[in-house]
Amino acid sequence: MQDFLELIVSAAASGCIYGLIALAYLLIIRPTGIINFAVGEWAAVGAFGGVVALSTAKLPYAVGMAAVLAAMFAVGWATERIAVRPLVERGAPVLSPILALLGMLVVFRESISIGFGPDPFPVPYPLGFERFEIGPLAGSRHAFFIIAATAAVFGAAWWFFERTLWGRIFEAVAIDRRAAALMGINLRRVAVLAFAAGATIAGLAGLLVSPNISAHFLMGLPLAVQGFSALVIGGVGRVEGALLGGLLIALAESLTVRYAPVPPGLAFGVPLVLLILFLLFRPTGLLKPRGAH
Amino acid sequence: MAWWRWIAAFVLLSAVGFFLGGYTSDVYRKLLLWVTLALGFNFLFGIAGQIAFSHFAFYGIGAYSVVILAFHFGLPLPLAIPLAAALCAVLALAVAIPSNRLEGFYLALATIAFSQLFIIVLNEGGDVTGGTGGLASYRLPPAYDVLPGGPWFTMLIVFVMLATFAVLWRLDRSWFGRACRAVRDNPEAAAAMGVDVARTKVLAFTLTSTFAGVAGMAYAFVDNTVNPPTFSIENSFLLLFMIVIGGAGRFAGAIVGAVLLYFLPLWLSPVIGHHHALVFGLLVVVVIVLQPRGLIGVYDALARRWRGRRPA
Repeated sequence: MQDFLELIVSAAASGCIYGLIALAYLLIIRPTGIINFAVGEWAAVGAFGGVVALSTAKLPYAVGMAAVLAAMFAVGWATERIAVRPLVERGAPVLSPILALLGMLVVFRESISIGFGPDPFPVPYPLGFERFEIGPLAGSRHAFFIIAATAAVFGAAWWFFERTLWGRIFEAVAIDRRAAALMGINLRRVAVLAFAAGATIAGLAGLLVSPNISAHFLMGLPLAVQGFSALVIGGVGRVEGALLGGLLIALAESLTVRYAPVPPGLAFGVPLVLLILFLLFRPTGLLKPRGAH
Repeated sequence: MAWWRWIAAFVLLSAVGFFLGGYTSDVYRKLLLWVTLALGFNFLFGIAGQIAFSHFAFYGIGAYSVVILAFHFGLPLPLAIPLAAALCAVLALAVAIPSNRLEGFYLALATIAFSQLFIIVLNEGGDVTGGTGGLASYRLPPAYDVLPGGPWFTMLIVFVMLATFAVLWRLDRSWFGRACRAVRDNPEAAAAMGVDVARTKVLAFTLTSTFAGVAGMAYAFVDNTVNPPTFSIENSFLLLFMIVIGGAGRFAGAIVGAVLLYFLPLWLSPVIGHHHALVFGLLVVVVIVLQPRGLIGVYDALARRWRGRRPA
């Protein structure tokens, strides 16, 4: 039982990372319809931001984290201005920005590779990784830090969409772009904010996961795949779906590694099999999107 | 194109193989295979409008299955080759039929998952797939010594490339090619005109994926080794970049893009080492933003301007 509860804590921590990446996809896909495969590279950029701010410049964790997130906001903003806005203004089909963002994916990855080389870089833990217990639940301090940070982000996202005017504006654009534009909503500003917020959240996910796996220039694509698997499983329409999908994937993955009699390499395939099953039998995901009421 | 042009192309491209040394003929064979893949992927992505990342997985399925059937199970080659092709077609159908029920970019997601799963299966396949090291130094039994080697093997690859080209070229000019373009541009209108949208999509995916598998079978005997990294999703991205940079939906664009991106790393390596992918990424962004029809679009624009200047 003890063993199982520890497994749950570590699975929840990885699930939170997947959920954050899924949220980054969702923030962009809802108002713009663009699926941005570069979110995984944004996470890698965030992780290497952590290397620079925390390992090299030795800033205090909170200051370094704030600096990285601010930089990621700028990266997302710039990505939209360079690779998306010129295409949207020309009225290009939605496939064009998706391809341009695939190009950006490679640009981000190779820039990291040129700047830092192929070796993994350690990133410091904010609270250390000693064992920490809350009642029967036990895990590393970092696992609890990830869970707390993710809870804060999803709480903020819920508050944003449910309680603020800008959240309503995002939803209005997601439901009907033309009607939203006719109501005087500035679609350009919504799109650029969606990209900036998506990059910030993806960067946070990269920063949080990097102490466990080390920052490496190839870390992006696996995160991108886990993230969209979480998104499809949870349902593209709802913020809670992203977190639910992420937790489900991580749990399935951990349980397979721990209890199923298959080689650990095959366990990496579990999220992919789950994704394919959901695409086959329930492409709308677990949570139904809300209607336009 | 008239039949004699295909023959001339075959003779010319095969003749090149006889003037090349060991290293250059290796480069030449791989170039021909990249062009074959680019032609097939251009039909799938540029003409049929499906964004799929499984092309290199099918290339790998063709390569691995012919090697496994011939050397692990000891089947004779004339049996192993059609069986491997059939396996590619069946797997392609298994991906295409369910994905077809989904709209938008779910095919991209499903094919990424499929490609990653394929690599996992290769890595964990034990003796059958050779794990992360792949399969190497398999030799055909002496009974096959009559098979073409050296430049004659290059000629076989030229044949695979031109056969793929010719079939797709004819298909593009048939009712099927027009149906594919109609489905790409407006599926509702195509359905209203009597095109079976689902069947067209599934056929285009299965056909081009099987062609990739056939090219993979030829690849298996280029280096006499197959290993997982060759068939990774990175190469499917690269294939997509070739088509986008060359000009999607145009055969000439696919060829120009494939040749350019194949040779760029060789030319660029003195300047930027192995970071040529950075240049590919920048090129893709620049091309999509400035000239979405690719280098062929640039050529068309120049040709039009040049003709416009001359008095008719």
